[in-house]
Amino acid sequence: MVKLVINGKEITTEKENTVLEVARAAGIDIPTLCSHESLPPYGSCRFCIVEVNQRGRTRMQTSCTLPVAEGMEIKTHSERVMKIRRILVELMLARCPESEVLRNMAREIGVPHCRFERVRGDKSLCHTCQACTLVEQMPMHAPAEVPSTFVGRSGCILCGMCVRLCDDVMKIGALGFEGRGMRRRVTTPFREPSEFCITCGACTSICPTGAIELLRVRPQEPLPIPSEFELGLANRKPIHLPFPQAVPRVPVIDPATCVNFMTGGCKVCEDNCQVQAIDHTQQDRIQEVDVGTVIVATGFKTFDPKRTPYYGYGVFPNVYTALEVERLVNASGPTGGEVTLRDGRAPKSIGIIHCVGSRDNKTNRWCSRVCCMYSLKLAHLLKEHTEAELYNFYIDMRTPGKSYDEFYGKLLEERVHFIRGRVGEVTDWAMTPEEEGKLVIRVEDTLAGFVRRIPVDMVVLSTGLEPQADAQEVRRLFNMSCGSEGFFLERHPKLAPVNTFTDGVFLAGACQGPRDIPDTVAQAGAAAAEAMVLIDKGYVEQEPNTAYILEQECSGCKSCIPLCPYTAIAFDEAKQKAVINEALCKGCGTCVASCPSGSIAQRLFEDDEVFSEIKGVLAYE
Amino acid sequence: MATRLTSCGELAAYRKTVAAKRDPNRTCVTVCGGTGCRACQGLDVAAAFRQAFQEHALEGKVDLRVTGCLGFCEHGPVVTLRPKGLIYVKVTAADAKEIVEKTLLKGEEMERLFIKDPQTKKRLRTREEIPFYKHQMPVIFGANFDLDPQSIDDYLYVGGYTALVKALTTMTPELVIDEVTKSGLRGRGGAGFPTGTKWASCRKVESNGKYIVCNADEGDPGAYANRSLMEGNPHSVLEGMIIASYAIGAHEGFIYVRAEYPLAVELLAKAIEDARALGLLGKNILGTGHSFDLEINRGGGAFVCGESTALMASIEGRAGEPRAKHIHMVERGLWDRPTVLNNVETWSNIPLIVNRGSQWFTAIGTGDVSKTPWGGSKGTKIFSLVGKVNNTGLVEVPMGATLRQIIYDIGGGIKGGKKFKGVQTGGPSGGILGVQHLDLPIDYDQLVEVGSMMGSGGMIVMDEDTCMVDFARYFLAFLEDESCGKCTPCREGVVQMRQLLEQIGAGKATMAHLDLLQDLAEVVRDASLCQLGVTAPNPVLTTLAYFREEYEAHIRNGKCPAGVCKALVSYLIDAEKCNGCTMCARNCPSGAIEGDKKQPHKIVLEKCSKCGICYEVCKFHAVARN
Repeated sequence: MVKLVINGKEITTEKENTVLEVARAAGIDIPTLCSHESLPPYGSCRFCIVEVNQRGRTRMQTSCTLPVAEGMEIKTHSERVMKIRRILVELMLARCPESEVLRNMAREIGVPHCRFERVRGDKSLCHTCQACTLVEQMPMHAPAEVPSTFVGRSGCILCGMCVRLCDDVMKIGALGFEGRGMRRRVTTPFREPSEFCITCGACTSICPTGAIELLRVRPQEPLPIPSEFELGLANRKPIHLPFPQAVPRVPVIDPATCVNFMTGGCKVCEDNCQVQAIDHTQQDRIQEVDVGTVIVATGFKTFDPKRTPYYGYGVFPNVYTALEVERLVNASGPTGGEVTLRDGRAPKSIGIIHCVGSRDNKTNRWCSRVCCMYSLKLAHLLKEHTEAELYNFYIDMRTPGKSYDEFYGKLLEERVHFIRGRVGEVTDWAMTPEEEGKLVIRVEDTLAGFVRRIPVDMVVLSTGLEPQADAQEVRRLFNMSCGSEGFFLERHPKLAPVNTFTDGVFLAGACQGPRDIPDTVAQAGAAAAEAMVLIDKGYVEQEPNTAYILEQECSGCKSCIPLCPYTAIAFDEAKQKAVINEALCKGCGTCVASCPSGSIAQRLFEDDEVFSEIKGVLAYE
Repeated sequence: MATRLTSCGELAAYRKTVAAKRDPNRTCVTVCGGTGCRACQGLDVAAAFRQAFQEHALEGKVDLRVTGCLGFCEHGPVVTLRPKGLIYVKVTAADAKEIVEKTLLKGEEMERLFIKDPQTKKRLRTREEIPFYKHQMPVIFGANFDLDPQSIDDYLYVGGYTALVKALTTMTPELVIDEVTKSGLRGRGGAGFPTGTKWASCRKVESNGKYIVCNADEGDPGAYANRSLMEGNPHSVLEGMIIASYAIGAHEGFIYVRAEYPLAVELLAKAIEDARALGLLGKNILGTGHSFDLEINRGGGAFVCGESTALMASIEGRAGEPRAKHIHMVERGLWDRPTVLNNVETWSNIPLIVNRGSQWFTAIGTGDVSKTPWGGSKGTKIFSLVGKVNNTGLVEVPMGATLRQIIYDIGGGIKGGKKFKGVQTGGPSGGILGVQHLDLPIDYDQLVEVGSMMGSGGMIVMDEDTCMVDFARYFLAFLEDESCGKCTPCREGVVQMRQLLEQIGAGKATMAHLDLLQDLAEVVRDASLCQLGVTAPNPVLTTLAYFREEYEAHIRNGKCPAGVCKALVSYLIDAEKCNGCTMCARNCPSGAIEGDKKQPHKIVLEKCSKCGICYEVCKFHAVARN
């Protein structure tokens, strides 16, 4: 506990703070130029100077570097202090008269104008080495002339925060000071483009005057980190909240781009977290959980429209997928709900193409079920958000469900144009003046009976649903099958839509087939109920025709184990014998037939039982 | 070279063998080999002596010793003859032959080589007769007369390293520190911090390593006392540092020498090598169990690296920039370990204090240090007396000597019989004192009280031809170049002060500028981060305080009383006094003087560069300066 007096106010502080921190915490504002909470104190600008009376001695000290001590008496705005600050502002204004930061400070502390002149070089010191002419922005001068003294890049107030941030915090050290006295400036070693700079942009963000041009430090555009949730329409930082509705609603750190993982530095987020919730040393943990039932709800993947290059996705900038447009119309999206083209203009006409990657022999044969409805929804929203003409290009309009078809009808009234025909291509090759600068949709209008060219500003591709890319691997993990389309196979399409052929493994949602949200929710409830029945009952009712191992006979050759379609056979390493899990065995008999030593028998189908049946049948003769 | 000595007894024995080979009564010729005399071909003089010895078969009968600086720099090359103690000045190589033939062989003293007293015109023969030497108290510097800086045997012969033995064998580290504290020794680098107190604080700190550092950066223009100590008696510095290492418990040391002192680096390196070879540096010094070794670090050409935190940053390999000193160097210095940094001259004082005791030391100087070393300034100080004095050179006087004693008694008064105007003490960071301060006793506190400082001991004397405005501008230009640029007030303020002074010198300023200059100077003093900035305004503040009339003359009357500021000076030939001798016209570098022989001459003002040569050469005082 340290007690001190600031401006007549008694303040107690527990931590080992500097006078500046304590004053600010007490609401006393001391101006600073070179101080920042993420940086260790430097004490170069001298603006935070205060009058310190301690043990009868008065001295002027910078509050950013001065640790508090018992019995200190501080005056932060005494006449002597203000005189110093005023002259310091004038001195700095002589160096950078255009600086907004300095002008504001001058206004605040009552400096009407700068009485000092811009610095001129001292002729007697010039030794005509011409070093000054090698710096960009410095005019070439004849050796006999007086060189104008370096004043740094225009706007740089030499606070040094960028240098300290890059060096001490980010631990890169791409920026540094060069030169002494008036020749001091911030630059890279030998003023050459830096190969160490990682274009993290920390320096530009901390610079109070915007004097740093990142391209001068490293002449390459920084690689943005595209936001996964915004589908690349916006960028994110290494530490980010995945999306506003994330559960738990907690930011995550991406180790691939976080500077701390690259250099061991930064950790500005950790320093600023008020509750110390950030720990960069966290590791992935692999946990093993023993369960009796599994519900597979691994979802779907959207169709990649690059597989249909004739629609121009990735080629023409204004071709979007429906999911991207979902983000555009969303108020919390990258454009705040403004639907604009890539160059910021408002679209005057929009074409929505159905069945991209669905009902297509060339890509996916199935109907993805949800696209017609969401295309209609998008058409409705786009009508609201823009003044554009809307065109929907469909094959059939599939609107099953409550009020779905009524919604379609509403859109017809909203003057959305519906053209029945599979779109052939999207092109930017204009054939008439109206098509100049637009994307032309070529489609056979089957109801009208001829091929049309419809120029639009923006094309939206209603992409279909596909199984996840790793569906095959996942299905093997759970000993499931996939249908011909790649979605997980249910035991019976009508009577057992949530069960798989493996007992205890259930399916829910779009991993089993394309479906919308209401259906998924219903199916999830069904799968959960089935699972709970198993758990609740505590036992499984089985058909008695399970197989079993004759232990003495089993030679441990393991040939039965991979053959069981229900992974019911395991290997006991201690006994070196096969073991059948009766709960899983379905009595298919494959293992019985395959065992080379005849060590597996099946109940109800044992040799003597089969012979008895044969005898019974023959007895009728 | 002997083998490594492993005990104090062996050292004592070695010392005896060295002494046995020497005859104190044998004739010895010493030639000053300090940098100043070297620049005047002093080494050629030494070579000439060697040759003359050979020719007259005197080798083995007469010693020749090239020493370090003897301080009488205005009159070098300086040669002394022992045992008589004769001092010959401005000796040339040709003179050397003559000296051997006349003085050595025939015992004839050569009058023309003695220095002449400017007042009595008498020839002065020995140190006891020469006022320059008579009024000094050269307890440290005097040793230079007897030492070849490259010979450790010479140092041992005059009692070198006896203090080390005394400390290592008869004193505990605490006792050593106590003795130094009681002596009242204060840092000779300029700040005057009590050395013993510094050592005591460092000793207290627990650490896995401590450092001893010697600040040999001596950046002040005009100061060369440290250099001459290193070049003349390098072992005294080493001995002081080894004693300190024992007192504090350090085992590593650095000597930070400015790169512009190559001779000092060379001689220090040789001294270190010799000391190591004898076992006075390195592991288990003289078998006492204490180990200490040193390294030389060269500076990179920055005045600011004389500041302790910047110096340590430089040793660590970082840019020489100071930092705020809330945590002192003795707690966290080099590489965050406790470090004691002292000036060259401070180190040289240590062996004397250990040998002769603190009481001997306190008997010299001012004030009362019985309660605290801050109470006075004890011991001697070496000053570089330069500028407009007759005897420029290095002088060692007890603390408390007055400016008048130094400038007039020792320095021989102002050159050319001109009037004393002012003296700058303490280098560019020091203030300029005027006639009213001539009887000021020189000590740390008195100097600070009048706005100046001791600094490294530079003393630049000015006469009536020095313009104070220009003088202040010159030093600010120096500091402008040397400022590290880290803090705003120093980096911007020093330049702006220099610009204001230039404007005053150019006659373009108003009285408002003077007020601005005063305010600015005070702000730079109050707000700067390190002492370079804090003391940078001293030339301005002191000249404003003591020579304000001169500033006002520049501003109000548009005149430079000293005739230096070219924009305000004009030269005119008084036609009545001019007799047309054409002396001025012939010497004018700009060809700006017209006139026929025997006719009054005229200066063409447009061509005149205000160099003042005509003013100097006219024997008839016909050129007037406004």
